[in-house]
Amino acid sequence: MTFFEDQLKEGVFQICYCKNCNDTIWPPKEICHKCHNRTDWKKSTNLGKIMEFSKRESTYFGLIEIDDGIRVLGDILSSSIPEIGQSVRMSVSFNSKPHYSFLVENN
Amino acid sequence: MNKVAIVGTGQTKFSKDERDVEKLLFESASNCIQSVNNYDSNDIDGVLVSTNNNSKYLGAILSETLGIRPKISHSIEHLCSSGTNAIISAYAYISSGLSDMVLVSGVESATNPGQVLEWDRSRGNLEHPIYWGSMLTKSHKRKFQTTEEELAIVSAKNHKHAMDNPFAYSNEPRTISEVMNSKQITDDLRILDCSRSCSGSSSILLASEEKAKIFSDQPIEITGIGQKTTSASFTKNILGEIESTRIAADLAYKMAKIEAKQIDVAEVHDAFSVCELMAISELGLTSNEKSGEFVRDLFNTENRMINPRGGLIGAGHPLGATGISQTIEITNQLQGKSDKRQISNAKIGLIHNMSAAGTSSSIMVLKN
Ligand SMILES: [Zn+2]
Repeated sequence: MTFFEDQLKEGVFQICYCKNCNDTIWPPKEICHKCHNRTDWKKSTNLGKIMEFSKRESTYFGLIEIDDGIRVLGDILSSSIPEIGQSVRMSVSFNSKPHYSFLVENN
Repeated sequence: MNKVAIVGTGQTKFSKDERDVEKLLFESASNCIQSVNNYDSNDIDGVLVSTNNNSKYLGAILSETLGIRPKISHSIEHLCSSGTNAIISAYAYISSGLSDMVLVSGVESATNPGQVLEWDRSRGNLEHPIYWGSMLTKSHKRKFQTTEEELAIVSAKNHKHAMDNPFAYSNEPRTISEVMNSKQITDDLRILDCSRSCSGSSSILLASEEKAKIFSDQPIEITGIGQKTTSASFTKNILGEIESTRIAADLAYKMAKIEAKQIDVAEVHDAFSVCELMAISELGLTSNEKSGEFVRDLFNTENRMINPRGGLIGAGHPLGATGISQTIEITNQLQGKSDKRQISNAKIGLIHNMSAAGTSSSIMVLKN
């Protein structure tokens, strides 16, 4: 298990970034793709916006942009049809693979 | 730089059955060798295998099975575009003078590890390609007013073409309404909009221009190559675009000294229906807004210019073999050997093969 995965298991989404370059590294890597120094971590705000969405069976899913332009695929929890640009709050877990889900705010 | 030509081709039938990769490789390579004139195993000095299968040392195993002792032999993996990547590697070996004649064989079994890219943590648990396929489809509808029917035409057209392809995994016709009424995988993807992983192998022999005439009466020259990898993770893509294809096409056209409008026939990477619409736009054959109409016209006029062998949707998608089968189709088209699928008077053909939601694209231009 990597640090990123360990933290997901604790319910924390850690953002990987380089202090030197002030750049986000996504998906997370131990080294910066520009300066090749060791990267650092900071906690996500867990706030994001819906970029695109679809639905499988009864569950919405979509492409969400969170902090610093990081984009992830995950489930969207919404009682009504989601909208592009809608604000969502992320929760995460890890069970053999990462799981990201997004609750539409003021749902 | 030596010029490089295709001198031989061979394929196996694609199928949904689980098959042994070593046997499949031998079958297509043997068919390929039988297609050339004056074959002598000593003339082949390179053997490359493209696959996502975990089997080891396949380049050497295939060489030994065929009684070849090549100078250069190894495997190549680049997910869905492994096949064209292997051909482009062979091109580089021949054009540089390191080899004179290279056998390139691609293979996959139906259940292969190349369908999911675990490394891409940005996909979360939604790692299967249907999720990014749904995102691309939904955004295409949203941005370019593409209709469900236009998407269904891509699949109906490619299934129709595959009926005349003896190597396709399915020869069943599918009407537009059958596609539209096929099982919904997500709100934006029906099962008949998806290419299916399958077993199969295809092989191609490349030779320097100097040697090509010995082995083939109709060698087909590779005149343009363009490759671009923009990232590895799907979520780096800009929705509505396949940037890697646009850049690779530009490189290939420049090398071949042609414009998009000169292309007579093309095999494009229709992993999902929407990918064909996006590919023909990024290749400069039409615009995103008109791509649905473009494909509808082809379908209505029975013009087989795009994906004459049935594409990935119609023929099946054995990952490591796909790019090679696409190249074989364009080769046969330019040789006038495509039987019922033949485009009349085809002079310039194009192959478009891509990987992992279009994060990498390979394009080749062939000329007769
Ligand atoms: Zn850095």
